[in-house]
Amino acid sequence: MSPGLPYVVVRSHALIADLLTPERMRTLAEQESLEGFVEKLADTPYGSISIEAKGNVSIALEKVFYQKFIERMMATVDVAPRNIGDFLQSYYYMRFEVVNLKRIIRGKYSGIPDLQIVESLIPMKPYRVESYEEIVDETALEGVIRCLEGTPYARLATRLELSEKYNALWPLEITLNHIYANAVFKSLEDLPQEDRGLVRKIVKSEADVENFLVAAKQRSVRDKVYRPEEMFPATYEIGLEKLREAIDASDIRTVIQRLDAPYIEILAPLYQGDVALIRSRLRRYISNAAMKGRTANDFGFNTVMAYLVFSEMEKDDLVGIAWGKSQQVSSEDILKYLVIPHSQ
Amino acid sequence: MSATIGIRPTKSFLMEIKRRIGYIERGTEFLKLKRDHLAKELTASLEVLKGRRSLLLENLRVAYRAVTASYISLGPTEVRSQVSSIKTGLELEVIPRSVMGVRYPFIKVEKEPQIAGELDITLSEAAEKVLAILDDIIQLAEFEARAERIADELGKTNRKVNALESTIIPSYRQVIKFIEDKLDEESLEELVRMKLIGGALGRQRE
Repeated sequence: MSPGLPYVVVRSHALIADLLTPERMRTLAEQESLEGFVEKLADTPYGSISIEAKGNVSIALEKVFYQKFIERMMATVDVAPRNIGDFLQSYYYMRFEVVNLKRIIRGKYSGIPDLQIVESLIPMKPYRVESYEEIVDETALEGVIRCLEGTPYARLATRLELSEKYNALWPLEITLNHIYANAVFKSLEDLPQEDRGLVRKIVKSEADVENFLVAAKQRSVRDKVYRPEEMFPATYEIGLEKLREAIDASDIRTVIQRLDAPYIEILAPLYQGDVALIRSRLRRYISNAAMKGRTANDFGFNTVMAYLVFSEMEKDDLVGIAWGKSQQVSSEDILKYLVIPHSQ
Repeated sequence: MSATIGIRPTKSFLMEIKRRIGYIERGTEFLKLKRDHLAKELTASLEVLKGRRSLLLENLRVAYRAVTASYISLGPTEVRSQVSSIKTGLELEVIPRSVMGVRYPFIKVEKEPQIAGELDITLSEAAEKVLAILDDIIQLAEFEARAERIADELGKTNRKVNALESTIIPSYRQVIKFIEDKLDEESLEELVRMKLIGGALGRQRE
């Protein structure tokens, strides 16, 4: 039984103090080498991590950071009241499950070995499916989709034909995104009205930016065989018309400039072709939204959400730094794409 | 050790040696021509190589920055997973070609990777940047291999010319001189002997 929302909120307040500060994250990003980064990390709640000489170190570290985030998330879900717990499970567990399903589908589509597919999965227990191993054991993509019957992902079967028609995976991946967004919005209904705003803002902005990026990518495709209605089954603040314009307009700058805030600022790096910076700006926007949400209601659900949002940003930043350090990327280039060192 | 040890100082051997040195001198001339041509080819290649390399390095820097950005943005596992969905990879055929007898590899692109569709936009932009310079990378690799082999052959040819000019030809000349001296000496001895015999015969007749 949950000790109640006040306990979860107080606990989240305490745990926020445990997260890496912007200065600490900057120090980690500025380390000369991967060894230096791991050494500095030992002074943080991540503790000492031993690196094996063989194998891909950045991928091993990525798993460690994911595990830490999942532990934090599970610890919060375990003590949260039922409605908040259900929502957080849909929001995080399902998000990671969708990522895992996409990785299994890609692996099966390209015929990579089962062991390699299993190793690429986020280390978490299945949420809405029985077992990842069972799905991976299927020999073909059709079998994978059949395995998902009776789960919230059953709708993928209806998109299989489209996927075969275009010999592409995007119809399945987009449907998974859509299923996830719907599940989050549905579980939001269990939350009190005043707690829904922050999550709605986050989910909508994420979906809108992803839709716009898919549209921007279509600009370089010579034979536009895909119909926008098929590509964007769900749109929010950036509607289908705007996405159509983004695909067809001779200058994407004019389309972006006609969008509402915050999209003008988030999507601006598209002018210089730095698409990765768009995702960084989106994450910074989400982080700021969580911070503002927490300020507006410092003793409610927003604090719990802010703690998990900041934890996830920390995980993403650490994954980026670990990879950058393993490849001897300059600190300046790494810092450009991080969120926490730039937050106030 | 002297080049003249064990030499038969005969006229027929002298003619054989003179014929041989004639071949060697002509061969040396050809090798000098080859050396000059290779040197010219190498100088031109190095000029082109220098220009192409600096241009490619700049483009590579841009492409690598895009790849870095996508890895930092998506994480290494996600990048690997997305990249695995590309079914058609790069296929190359290496064909041997030759310039002045120097063989070098010529690379023919059989099939380019199909990156459209499945990749995330950050990754597809990075992949497009790499794909755009793929031909340049292949051409530069081909050019570098060509220049390296020409330089190698130039070194070998130069060593051969030097060996011929400073060791082989002088030693042959020494042999020729030795045989000619020996033959002159022998003909002089023969003349003196003839004269002595002639004198003795004359004295007998008197």
